[in-house]
Amino acid sequence: MSSRVLEATGLVKRYKRTTAVAGVSLAVDAGERIALLGANGAGKTTTLLMLLGAITPDEGSVTVLGHTLPGGRSRAMERVGFAAGYLPLPDRLRVREVLAYFANLHGVADPGPPVDAGLARFRIPDLADAMAGELSSGQRTLVGIIKATLHRPRLLVLDEPTASLDPDVAHRVRVGLEETCDETGAALLVTSHNMTDVERICERVVFLSGGLVVADGPPDAVTRQFGRATLEEVFLHLASEEKI
Amino acid sequence: MATGSLDLLRVKAVIRRQFYVQLRAPQRWFDVLVWPMVDTVIWGSIGLFVDQEGGAGRAGAPYMLSGILLMHVMYQANVSMSCGFLDETWSRNLVNLMVSPLREVELLAGLMVVSAVRLLAGLGAVAVAAGLLFSFNVTSAGWGLIPVIAVLMLVGWTIALLVMALVLRFGNGAEILCWGLLFVIVALSGAFYPVHAMPGVLQPLGRVLPSTHAFEAARRLLDGRPMPWRLIAEGAAGVAVAVPAAAAVLWRTLHLFRARGYVTRYS
Repeated sequence: MSSRVLEATGLVKRYKRTTAVAGVSLAVDAGERIALLGANGAGKTTTLLMLLGAITPDEGSVTVLGHTLPGGRSRAMERVGFAAGYLPLPDRLRVREVLAYFANLHGVADPGPPVDAGLARFRIPDLADAMAGELSSGQRTLVGIIKATLHRPRLLVLDEPTASLDPDVAHRVRVGLEETCDETGAALLVTSHNMTDVERICERVVFLSGGLVVADGPPDAVTRQFGRATLEEVFLHLASEEKI
Repeated sequence: MATGSLDLLRVKAVIRRQFYVQLRAPQRWFDVLVWPMVDTVIWGSIGLFVDQEGGAGRAGAPYMLSGILLMHVMYQANVSMSCGFLDETWSRNLVNLMVSPLREVELLAGLMVVSAVRLLAGLGAVAVAAGLLFSFNVTSAGWGLIPVIAVLMLVGWTIALLVMALVLRFGNGAEILCWGLLFVIVALSGAFYPVHAMPGVLQPLGRVLPSTHAFEAARRLLDGRPMPWRLIAEGAAGVAVAVPAAAAVLWRTLHLFRARGYVTRYS
């Protein structure tokens, strides 16, 4: 069985006045932990949404777990988890109901045990019966990540999971993610503006700038490539060249 | 969401989510129970007044009440299904659904089931109000009403499919068409009057709508005439064209939605 969970080749996406993604290729193997980095407008979210089939690329192809998009999207997504720090949870549902809803959508017929385990892992069992619409942003992020991991995905895609979180919640997210990936062998593809998180979690970073991949490798190799001391400095260097 | 066959677990998940929304959103009961009763009072009273003034002919309270009952079949079928979809846009849940394994047909199937249940509740509200306030028995038209209701329900779903397409294409600003489009169709369908009572320029438009044939069939049944099979067949033929056409418009719009990256409106 192939260890490749995602393969994207030559992705291009143009909007009316701009080219958001200008030719991104990316391969993710089982168990890899990759950060997709870049300043605002670098093309990260558009790339993620193309990888997940929510946006159709103008050029290029995406294969997830052996299923080529868009035709194989539903089958592929059965083993993919997604969460974004900026997305709210569905209204008028309790946390347990939200989690059961998404577990069912991913084919988990009995969501009770994985929901309880997920809430325990991220240390929020007391939120099970809270209304999802009344959670703080940190609590919402944690529930969003649990939602993405309930079905033991082989690929976990997270967009800005630790944005605007306090250090304690950000720590819980990091630890919970590491435990989940260690336990399930899931590959992780994450975007973040927090270079500390990236260095702690990811073994490979992919920098986007102007819709193109400008660096791809282990964090220390990438910092050397740009002659900088830290990923933060590489980020600031590339951000200064990016049009917002 | 992707096209393809049905997974019942996912359909049930959609139904359960809508059930919770209905249960916990008091304003949703307005559409299902209060609005149908208000309409019954308004239209039933107008019909009664016309009767009392001696000018009713065939257009008295029974016609008005059967018209409002059947209009609410279209109303509930459309509004329930459209609002089920709009809920996902209002709560910015569309991105989550689009990156889940949920297929479009599964979402639509779930929304149709919910819509049918709400339709029954809405019809029940009209029937009770019409019976208590105007001594109108909705079953007086007989079993012939069942195919009439089926045609009108499919017309309601057709409108809902078009509303979804318009919202996907133009954003949430288009949601007003959920109600606006419905009332245009109601007016052109002669829910309370025969087509020949409409202005001449509008009559050809009325005649091509399947709902027009269904409303006319209902009036004949109320008059105690035999089952108007020809009208039912014309209505059924109309929806046999309209439903696939609206579905094709929705599918085409979804393609455009993905191609133009409109999903970012909800992220």
